[in-house]
Amino acid sequence: MSSSSSSSSPSCPKKMITLKSSDGETFEIEEIAALQSKTLESMIDENCASTPVPLPNITGKILAKVVEYCTKHAEVGADAESLRAWDAEFVSVDHPTLFDYILAANFLEIPTLLNLACQSVADMVKGKTPDEIHKIFNIKSTFTPEEEEELRRENQWAFD
Amino acid sequence: MGAALSGGNGSGVGPGLGDIPESCVACVFLYLTPPEICNLARLNRAFRGAASSDAVWEAKLPANYHDLLDLLPPERYRNLSKKDIFALLSRPVPVGDGNKEVWLDRVTGRVCMSISARAMAITGIEDRRYWNWLPTEESRFHEVAYLQQIWWFEVDGAVKFPFPADIYTISFRLHLGKFSKRLGRRVCYFEHTHGWDIKPVKFELSTSDGQQASSECRLDDTVQDEINGNHKRGCWIDYKVGEFIVSHTDPATEVRFSMKQIDCTHSKGGLCVDAVYIVPSDLRQRKRRVLK
Repeated sequence: MSSSSSSSSPSCPKKMITLKSSDGETFEIEEIAALQSKTLESMIDENCASTPVPLPNITGKILAKVVEYCTKHAEVGADAESLRAWDAEFVSVDHPTLFDYILAANFLEIPTLLNLACQSVADMVKGKTPDEIHKIFNIKSTFTPEEEEELRRENQWAFD
Repeated sequence: MGAALSGGNGSGVGPGLGDIPESCVACVFLYLTPPEICNLARLNRAFRGAASSDAVWEAKLPANYHDLLDLLPPERYRNLSKKDIFALLSRPVPVGDGNKEVWLDRVTGRVCMSISARAMAITGIEDRRYWNWLPTEESRFHEVAYLQQIWWFEVDGAVKFPFPADIYTISFRLHLGKFSKRLGRRVCYFEHTHGWDIKPVKFELSTSDGQQASSECRLDDTVQDEINGNHKRGCWIDYKVGEFIVSHTDPATEVRFSMKQIDCTHSKGGLCVDAVYIVPSDLRQRKRRVLK
């Protein structure tokens, strides 16, 4: 683990930082790629990223993918069309993984990944009734029947 | 709130939709339409909270929504959340003396306008031998102008409004023949309907920044009548005048529009004129596909 200097990164070797997942795995990521995370960016700015950054909220499985995403998006010269296709592929995952992406992107403040994953979720819930969503996604409502009725009424204007 | 949560929502492995915090649901809502958001508001507390978020609804409102609010008395919108403002503006808002209405399309938040025949200059409108006003619930203005007979048919109108940047289509809503309800059934009368198959009506529009468009159409088609049954009579039809582009909300766009058939060698009549519609072009496309 080389000590980090506060001057701008040399052309080689690339400046790397190390991230540590909740289950103890470590991942190296280029500092440039890590800057896409506002959380990591402020840590780098304050020089707190010289030792492995612990991320107790994110498992190794998900952190690996997040590193992959940030690295891909830090690449220079990628054309928009192929990046879009890569993104589409990236979010073609099962629901729990997709929600994991959202939680990780939220925690690490990666707006591009958050938007990408949220747009995927939007596509999933489009056109479905709340009852269908309760079933498909196994989501529990904690509203009383009265509260639900009130909510139905106050949102009726959108369907008149 | 972390990815390490397992089965908290009964799904067994990994987080579920119910584990998404309100701020992330608000991000999902950026990609959904207002009706979709309102549909999901009762899923759980995070969804309900996000469905009331000002940030979400500000993004759904047009940038110049204050121009629409200015049409209403301040007490109608004071202290309203952005969601309530959207709901308020998605219902028709009277412009000026109520002969024009403006509203936000519920799905896209784009601005639409309708202008009553009352707000237009109609040649001969004061002469009851030519024109009469018919009260009807088939018009959002509760009345239409009915033409019995005239030689010089001309309807002119204009509006100046801060339309949001978009491409708009202008159309005239017309009905060949008179109509009424008889014992609960709709009945049409064509005793005055004549002359529209001889020469076409000319529709035109122009804007203060020099745009122009026009189209022509025979409103009636008695030849087709014999073959296919006339689909032009007895129903409301939107006749497209043309399109105009608004690039900037400021200064307010001024549009003039007209409908004419002034060939005085033949008379024409038996036509209801309801209103002019100014609607974003791809909205109009979408609705027509639905109607078909």
